[in-house]
Amino acid sequence: MKKLAWFLVPLVLFLMLSVFLFLGLFSDPTQRESAMLENKFPDFQLPDLMQENIIYDNSVFQGQMTLVNVWGVWCVTCAIELPYLTELSQQGYRFVGLYYDQDLDPDFGTKTVNRVRTEVTETLGRFGNPFEFNIFDVYRDTSLDLGVTGAPETFLVDHKGVIRVHHLGDINPRVWRNKFMPEIEKINVERGISDTQKGLEQ
Amino acid sequence: MNKRLFLCFGILLVLTFNVQVLAQEETVVTNEQEALRTVPKDYAENYAFDDPEKRKSFLELTKNLRCPKCQNQNIADSNAMIAHDMRRKVYQMLKDGKSEEQVIAFMKGRYNDFVYYKPPVNAFTIWLWVLPVLFVVLMLGIFLMRRKTVDDENSDEKIAQAEALLKDE
Repeated sequence: MKKLAWFLVPLVLFLMLSVFLFLGLFSDPTQRESAMLENKFPDFQLPDLMQENIIYDNSVFQGQMTLVNVWGVWCVTCAIELPYLTELSQQGYRFVGLYYDQDLDPDFGTKTVNRVRTEVTETLGRFGNPFEFNIFDVYRDTSLDLGVTGAPETFLVDHKGVIRVHHLGDINPRVWRNKFMPEIEKINVERGISDTQKGLEQ
Repeated sequence: MNKRLFLCFGILLVLTFNVQVLAQEETVVTNEQEALRTVPKDYAENYAFDDPEKRKSFLELTKNLRCPKCQNQNIADSNAMIAHDMRRKVYQMLKDGKSEEQVIAFMKGRYNDFVYYKPPVNAFTIWLWVLPVLFVVLMLGIFLMRRKTVDDENSDEKIAQAEALLKDE
Protein backbone atom coordinates (compact mmCIF):
# COMPACT_ATOMS: atom_id res chain seq x y z
CA MET A 1 0.00 0.00 0.00
CA LYS A 2 2.70 2.41 1.03
CA LYS A 3 4.84 1.36 -1.91
CA LEU A 4 1.97 2.04 -4.28
CA ALA A 5 1.58 5.55 -2.87
CA TRP A 6 5.27 6.29 -3.41
CA PHE A 7 4.84 5.25 -6.98
CA LEU A 8 1.53 7.04 -7.62
CA VAL A 9 2.20 10.41 -5.98
CA PRO A 10 5.11 11.41 -8.25
CA LEU A 11 3.28 9.98 -11.24
CA VAL A 12 0.19 12.08 -10.60
CA LEU A 13 2.31 15.18 -9.97
CA PHE A 14 4.20 14.56 -13.18
CA LEU A 15 1.00 14.13 -15.17
CA MET A 16 -0.43 17.34 -13.73
CA LEU A 17 2.70 19.24 -14.68
CA SER A 18 2.62 17.72 -18.17
CA VAL A 19 -0.98 18.79 -18.73
CA PHE A 20 -0.18 22.30 -17.46
CA LEU A 21 2.81 22.69 -19.76
CA PHE A 22 1.00 21.07 -22.68
CA LEU A 23 -1.86 23.56 -22.42
CA GLY A 24 0.74 26.31 -22.32
CA LEU A 25 1.82 25.34 -25.83
CA PHE A 26 -1.53 26.51 -27.17
CA SER A 27 -2.05 29.61 -25.04
CA ASP A 28 -1.76 32.99 -26.69
CA PRO A 29 0.47 35.25 -24.60
CA THR A 30 -1.00 38.36 -26.18
CA GLN A 31 -4.55 37.44 -25.25
CA ARG A 32 -5.92 39.46 -22.38
CA GLU A 33 -9.22 40.25 -20.82
CA SER A 34 -10.17 43.73 -21.96
CA ALA A 35 -10.96 46.25 -19.23
CA MET A 36 -13.47 47.87 -21.55
CA LEU A 37 -16.18 45.24 -21.81
CA GLU A 38 -19.66 46.33 -20.67
CA ASN A 39 -18.35 49.88 -20.31
CA LYS A 40 -19.75 52.85 -22.10
CA PHE A 41 -17.65 53.98 -25.04
CA PRO A 42 -15.43 56.72 -23.52
CA ASP A 43 -16.52 60.28 -24.16
CA PHE A 44 -14.83 61.84 -27.13
CA GLN A 45 -15.03 64.82 -29.45
CA LEU A 46 -12.97 64.26 -32.54
CA PRO A 47 -12.91 65.54 -36.11
CA ASP A 48 -13.61 63.64 -39.29
CA LEU A 49 -10.44 62.38 -40.93
CA MET A 50 -11.26 63.97 -44.25
CA GLN A 51 -12.98 67.18 -43.14
CA GLU A 52 -11.84 68.66 -39.87
CA ASN A 53 -14.90 70.90 -39.52
CA ILE A 54 -17.13 67.87 -38.89
CA ILE A 55 -16.89 66.94 -35.20
CA TYR A 56 -18.17 63.60 -33.89
CA ASP A 57 -19.07 62.63 -30.35
CA ASN A 58 -20.74 59.67 -28.61
CA SER A 59 -24.08 60.42 -30.25
CA VAL A 60 -22.84 58.61 -33.39
CA PHE A 61 -23.56 55.33 -31.58
CA GLN A 62 -27.15 56.10 -30.64
CA GLY A 63 -29.75 53.67 -31.92
CA GLN A 64 -27.40 51.68 -34.11
CA MET A 65 -25.06 48.78 -33.59
CA THR A 66 -21.60 49.89 -34.72
CA LEU A 67 -18.24 48.22 -35.28
CA VAL A 68 -15.39 50.59 -34.49
CA ASN A 69 -12.22 49.56 -36.27
CA VAL A 70 -8.94 51.07 -35.07
CA TRP A 71 -6.61 51.29 -38.04
CA GLY A 72 -3.99 53.21 -39.99
CA VAL A 73 -2.41 53.08 -43.45
CA TRP A 74 0.93 52.15 -41.88
CA CYS A 75 -0.57 48.98 -40.41
CA VAL A 76 -0.07 45.91 -42.59
CA THR A 77 -2.62 43.66 -40.91
CA CYS A 78 -5.26 46.38 -41.32
CA ALA A 79 -4.80 46.25 -45.09
CA ILE A 80 -5.26 42.49 -44.98
CA GLU A 81 -8.57 42.65 -43.12
CA LEU A 82 -10.02 45.56 -45.15
CA PRO A 83 -11.48 43.40 -47.97
CA TYR A 84 -13.31 41.17 -45.47
CA LEU A 85 -14.60 44.16 -43.51
CA THR A 86 -15.84 45.64 -46.77
CA GLU A 87 -17.69 42.41 -47.46
CA LEU A 88 -19.32 42.60 -44.02
CA SER A 89 -20.28 46.23 -44.53
CA GLN A 90 -21.97 45.25 -47.77
CA GLN A 91 -24.04 42.77 -45.74
CA GLY A 92 -25.34 45.75 -43.79
CA TYR A 93 -23.06 46.02 -40.77
CA ARG A 94 -22.06 49.53 -39.87
CA PHE A 95 -18.33 50.19 -39.67
CA VAL A 96 -16.74 53.35 -38.35
CA GLY A 97 -12.99 53.85 -38.51
CA LEU A 98 -10.99 55.22 -35.62
CA TYR A 99 -7.90 56.43 -37.42
CA TYR A 100 -4.52 57.29 -35.99
CA ASP A 101 -1.19 57.93 -37.60
CA GLN A 102 2.13 57.75 -35.84
CA ASP A 103 3.91 59.66 -38.59
CA LEU A 104 2.02 62.80 -37.65
CA ASP A 105 3.69 62.48 -34.30
CA PRO A 106 6.94 64.45 -33.94
CA ASP A 107 8.29 61.57 -31.85
CA PHE A 108 8.33 59.43 -34.96
CA GLY A 109 8.47 61.67 -37.99
CA THR A 110 6.48 64.35 -39.65
CA LYS A 111 3.84 63.94 -42.27
CA THR A 112 1.26 66.51 -43.25
CA VAL A 113 -2.45 65.87 -42.76
CA ASN A 114 -3.00 66.22 -46.48
CA ARG A 115 -0.49 63.51 -47.22
CA VAL A 116 -2.25 61.22 -44.72
CA ARG A 117 -5.57 61.91 -46.43
CA THR A 118 -4.17 61.05 -49.83
CA GLU A 119 -2.74 57.81 -48.50
CA VAL A 120 -6.02 56.90 -46.81
CA THR A 121 -8.00 57.47 -50.00
CA GLU A 122 -5.47 55.43 -51.93
CA THR A 123 -5.49 52.51 -49.44
CA LEU A 124 -9.28 52.38 -49.21
CA GLY A 125 -9.52 52.56 -52.99
CA ARG A 126 -7.22 49.60 -53.35
CA PHE A 127 -8.45 47.26 -50.58
CA GLY A 128 -12.08 48.35 -50.18
CA ASN A 129 -13.78 50.87 -47.96
CA PRO A 130 -16.01 49.44 -45.22
CA PHE A 131 -16.29 52.71 -43.31
CA GLU A 132 -19.28 55.01 -43.09
CA PHE A 133 -16.79 57.62 -41.91
CA ASN A 134 -13.42 57.83 -40.16
CA ILE A 135 -12.90 59.50 -36.81
CA PHE A 136 -9.46 61.04 -36.56
CA ASP A 137 -7.88 60.37 -33.18
CA VAL A 138 -5.31 63.11 -33.55
CA TYR A 139 -3.44 62.77 -30.26
CA ARG A 140 -4.53 59.16 -29.65
CA ASP A 141 -6.27 60.11 -26.39
CA THR A 142 -9.39 58.15 -27.26
CA SER A 143 -7.30 55.12 -28.22
CA LEU A 144 -5.67 55.28 -24.80
CA ASP A 145 -9.08 55.58 -23.12
CA LEU A 146 -10.18 52.53 -25.07
CA GLY A 147 -7.21 50.48 -23.91
CA VAL A 148 -5.95 50.12 -27.47
CA THR A 149 -2.49 48.56 -27.67
CA GLY A 150 -1.97 48.79 -31.43
CA ALA A 151 -3.75 48.27 -34.70
CA PRO A 152 -5.92 46.64 -35.84
CA GLU A 153 -8.39 46.38 -33.01
CA THR A 154 -12.15 46.26 -33.30
CA PHE A 155 -14.89 47.17 -30.85
CA LEU A 156 -18.51 46.10 -31.14
CA VAL A 157 -20.59 48.95 -29.73
CA ASP A 158 -24.28 48.30 -29.18
CA HIS A 159 -27.19 50.67 -29.84
CA LYS A 160 -26.80 52.23 -26.37
CA GLY A 161 -23.11 53.03 -26.89
CA VAL A 162 -21.85 50.18 -24.68
CA ILE A 163 -18.78 48.17 -25.72
CA ARG A 164 -19.66 44.49 -26.09
CA VAL A 165 -16.63 43.00 -27.83
CA HIS A 166 -13.02 44.16 -27.86
CA HIS A 167 -10.95 42.23 -30.36
CA LEU A 168 -7.17 42.57 -30.75
CA GLY A 169 -5.85 41.68 -34.17
CA ASP A 170 -7.53 41.15 -37.50
CA ILE A 171 -11.09 40.05 -38.14
CA ASN A 172 -11.43 36.97 -40.29
CA PRO A 173 -14.40 34.65 -40.90
CA ARG A 174 -13.47 32.45 -37.93
CA VAL A 175 -13.16 35.36 -35.48
CA TRP A 176 -16.36 36.85 -36.84
CA ARG A 177 -18.29 33.63 -36.41
CA ASN A 178 -16.96 32.73 -32.96
CA LYS A 179 -16.47 36.07 -31.28
CA PHE A 180 -18.75 38.63 -32.91
CA MET A 181 -21.82 36.73 -34.09
CA PRO A 182 -22.89 35.40 -30.65
CA GLU A 183 -22.77 38.91 -29.20
CA ILE A 184 -24.51 40.44 -32.23
CA GLU A 185 -27.34 37.95 -31.81
CA LYS A 186 -27.61 38.84 -28.14
CA ILE A 187 -27.84 42.54 -29.00
CA ASN A 188 -30.52 41.84 -31.58
CA VAL A 189 -32.56 39.90 -29.01
CA GLU A 190 -32.21 42.82 -26.58
CA ARG A 191 -33.40 45.21 -29.24
CA GLY A 192 -36.30 42.91 -30.02
CA ILE A 193 -35.33 42.30 -33.59
CA SER A 194 -36.84 38.89 -34.24
CA ASP A 195 -35.11 38.31 -37.54
CA THR A 196 -31.71 37.37 -36.17
CA GLN A 197 -30.72 35.03 -38.95
CA LYS A 198 -28.16 37.44 -40.28
CA GLY A 199 -28.18 40.01 -37.51
CA LEU A 200 -28.64 42.77 -40.02
CA GLU A 201 -29.45 46.33 -39.16
CA GLN A 202 -32.93 47.29 -40.27
CA MET B 1 49.67 90.98 -67.55
CA ASN B 2 47.53 88.35 -69.07
CA LYS B 3 48.53 85.89 -66.33
CA ARG B 4 47.50 88.33 -63.59
CA LEU B 5 44.09 88.88 -65.06
CA PHE B 6 43.57 85.13 -65.23
CA LEU B 7 44.54 84.72 -61.53
CA CYS B 8 42.16 87.47 -60.45
CA PHE B 9 39.34 85.90 -62.37
CA GLY B 10 40.12 82.52 -60.80
CA ILE B 11 40.06 83.89 -57.25
CA LEU B 12 36.78 85.64 -57.94
CA LEU B 13 35.27 82.41 -59.21
CA VAL B 14 36.32 80.44 -56.13
CA LEU B 15 34.98 83.15 -53.83
CA THR B 16 31.55 83.30 -55.42
CA PHE B 17 31.29 79.53 -55.28
CA ASN B 18 32.15 79.53 -51.59
CA VAL B 19 29.60 82.19 -50.86
CA GLN B 20 26.95 80.17 -52.65
CA VAL B 21 27.71 77.05 -50.64
CA LEU B 22 27.63 79.00 -47.39
CA ALA B 23 24.31 80.55 -48.31
CA GLN B 24 22.85 77.14 -49.03
CA GLU B 25 24.04 75.74 -45.71
CA GLU B 26 22.45 78.62 -43.92
CA THR B 27 19.03 77.98 -45.46
CA VAL B 28 19.21 74.32 -44.47
CA VAL B 29 19.84 75.27 -40.86
CA THR B 30 16.92 77.67 -40.72
CA ASN B 31 14.59 75.06 -42.18
CA GLU B 32 15.53 72.60 -39.47
CA GLN B 33 14.99 75.18 -36.78
CA GLU B 34 11.60 75.96 -38.18
CA ALA B 35 10.65 72.28 -38.14
CA LEU B 36 11.64 72.08 -34.49
CA ARG B 37 9.74 75.20 -33.67
CA THR B 38 6.48 73.74 -35.00
CA VAL B 39 6.68 70.81 -32.57
CA PRO B 40 4.36 71.51 -29.66
CA LYS B 41 6.39 71.80 -26.50
CA ASP B 42 4.72 69.20 -24.30
CA TYR B 43 4.53 66.87 -27.27
CA ALA B 44 8.22 66.30 -27.73
CA GLU B 45 9.90 63.71 -25.58
CA ASN B 46 11.33 66.08 -23.04
CA TYR B 47 9.92 65.47 -19.60
CA ALA B 48 11.12 68.23 -17.36
CA PHE B 49 9.85 68.65 -13.81
CA ASP B 50 10.24 71.58 -11.47
CA ASP B 51 9.49 69.43 -8.47
CA PRO B 52 12.14 66.72 -7.80
CA GLU B 53 9.51 64.64 -5.96
CA LYS B 54 7.39 64.51 -9.10
CA ARG B 55 10.39 63.60 -11.14
CA LYS B 56 11.01 60.68 -8.81
CA SER B 57 7.39 59.61 -9.16
CA PHE B 58 7.67 59.78 -12.93
CA LEU B 59 10.76 57.59 -13.01
CA GLU B 60 9.20 55.16 -10.55
CA LEU B 61 5.97 54.92 -12.52
CA THR B 62 7.52 54.49 -15.95
CA LYS B 63 9.70 51.76 -14.45
CA ASN B 64 6.79 49.84 -12.95
CA LEU B 65 4.17 50.31 -15.64
CA ARG B 66 4.28 47.60 -18.22
CA CYS B 67 3.93 48.20 -21.94
CA PRO B 68 0.73 46.43 -23.07
CA LYS B 69 2.10 45.86 -26.55
CA CYS B 70 5.54 44.51 -25.88
CA GLN B 71 4.92 42.16 -22.94
CA ASN B 72 8.24 42.18 -21.13
CA GLN B 73 9.25 45.80 -21.24
CA ASN B 74 8.25 48.65 -19.01
CA ILE B 75 7.09 51.88 -20.60
CA ALA B 76 10.36 53.64 -19.83
CA ASP B 77 12.22 51.03 -21.82
CA SER B 78 9.83 50.43 -24.70
CA ASN B 79 9.83 52.33 -27.94
CA ALA B 80 6.35 51.21 -29.03
CA MET B 81 3.92 53.98 -29.82
CA ILE B 82 1.64 52.98 -26.98
CA ALA B 83 4.57 53.34 -24.55
CA HIS B 84 5.23 56.85 -25.87
CA ASP B 85 1.59 57.73 -25.35
CA MET B 86 1.57 56.29 -21.86
CA ARG B 87 4.73 58.16 -20.84
CA ARG B 88 3.16 61.36 -22.10
CA LYS B 89 -0.03 60.62 -20.16
CA VAL B 90 1.88 59.86 -16.96
CA TYR B 91 3.78 63.11 -17.38
CA GLN B 92 0.63 65.12 -17.94
CA MET B 93 -1.16 63.55 -15.00
CA LEU B 94 1.73 64.19 -12.62
CA LYS B 95 1.99 67.76 -13.88
CA ASP B 96 -1.72 68.16 -13.18
CA GLY B 97 -1.03 67.21 -9.56
CA LYS B 98 -2.33 63.63 -9.69
CA SER B 99 -0.82 61.16 -7.24
CA GLU B 100 1.02 57.97 -8.19
CA GLU B 101 -1.96 55.87 -7.09
CA GLN B 102 -4.26 57.88 -9.34
CA VAL B 103 -2.01 57.32 -12.35
CA ILE B 104 -1.85 53.57 -11.64
CA ALA B 105 -5.64 53.42 -11.24
CA PHE B 106 -6.06 55.29 -14.52
CA MET B 107 -3.86 52.81 -16.39
CA LYS B 108 -5.40 49.77 -14.70
CA GLY B 109 -8.82 51.04 -15.68
CA ARG B 110 -7.78 50.82 -19.31
CA TYR B 111 -5.30 47.96 -19.47
CA ASN B 112 -6.24 45.88 -16.40
CA ASP B 113 -3.81 44.58 -13.78
CA PHE B 114 -1.54 43.51 -16.61
CA VAL B 115 -0.23 47.04 -16.93
CA TYR B 116 1.34 47.18 -13.46
CA TYR B 117 4.26 44.97 -12.52
CA LYS B 118 3.07 44.49 -8.95
CA PRO B 119 0.19 42.03 -9.05
CA PRO B 120 -2.69 42.66 -6.64
CA VAL B 121 -3.21 40.15 -3.82
CA ASN B 122 -6.55 38.42 -4.23
CA ALA B 123 -8.06 34.95 -3.95
CA PHE B 124 -6.57 33.99 -7.29
CA THR B 125 -3.07 35.45 -6.97
CA ILE B 126 -2.48 34.67 -3.27
CA TRP B 127 -1.16 31.26 -4.37
CA LEU B 128 1.91 32.92 -5.82
CA TRP B 129 3.05 33.66 -2.28
CA VAL B 130 1.47 30.75 -0.42
CA LEU B 131 2.55 27.86 -2.65
CA PRO B 132 6.32 28.21 -2.20
CA VAL B 133 5.94 28.50 1.58
CA LEU B 134 3.59 25.50 1.64
CA PHE B 135 6.07 23.51 -0.41
CA VAL B 136 8.96 24.25 1.92
CA VAL B 137 6.91 23.37 5.01
CA LEU B 138 5.69 20.14 3.43
CA MET B 139 9.16 19.06 2.35
CA LEU B 140 10.61 19.87 5.75
CA GLY B 141 7.83 17.83 7.39
CA ILE B 142 8.46 14.83 5.16
CA PHE B 143 12.20 15.06 5.70
CA LEU B 144 11.90 15.12 9.50
CA MET B 145 9.33 12.31 9.55
CA ARG B 146 11.42 10.02 7.41
CA ARG B 147 14.56 10.62 9.38
CA LYS B 148 12.83 9.69 12.61
CA THR B 149 11.37 6.44 11.26
CA VAL B 150 14.76 5.38 9.93
CA ASP B 151 16.27 5.86 13.39
CA ASP B 152 13.46 3.95 15.14
CA GLU B 153 13.37 0.97 12.87
CA ASN B 154 17.02 0.10 12.54
CA SER B 155 19.27 1.30 15.29
CA ASP B 156 18.66 -1.31 18.01
CA GLU B 157 18.53 -4.18 15.58
CA LYS B 158 21.69 -3.11 13.82
CA ILE B 159 23.66 -2.66 17.01
CA ALA B 160 22.67 -6.16 18.05
CA GLN B 161 23.76 -7.51 14.69
CA ALA B 162 27.04 -5.70 14.84
CA GLU B 163 27.75 -6.93 18.34
CA ALA B 164 26.95 -10.49 17.31
CA LEU B 165 29.44 -10.22 14.48
CA LEU B 166 32.08 -8.82 16.79
CA LYS B 167 31.57 -11.66 19.25
CA ASP B 168 32.07 -14.27 16.57
CA GLU B 169 35.45 -12.88 15.81
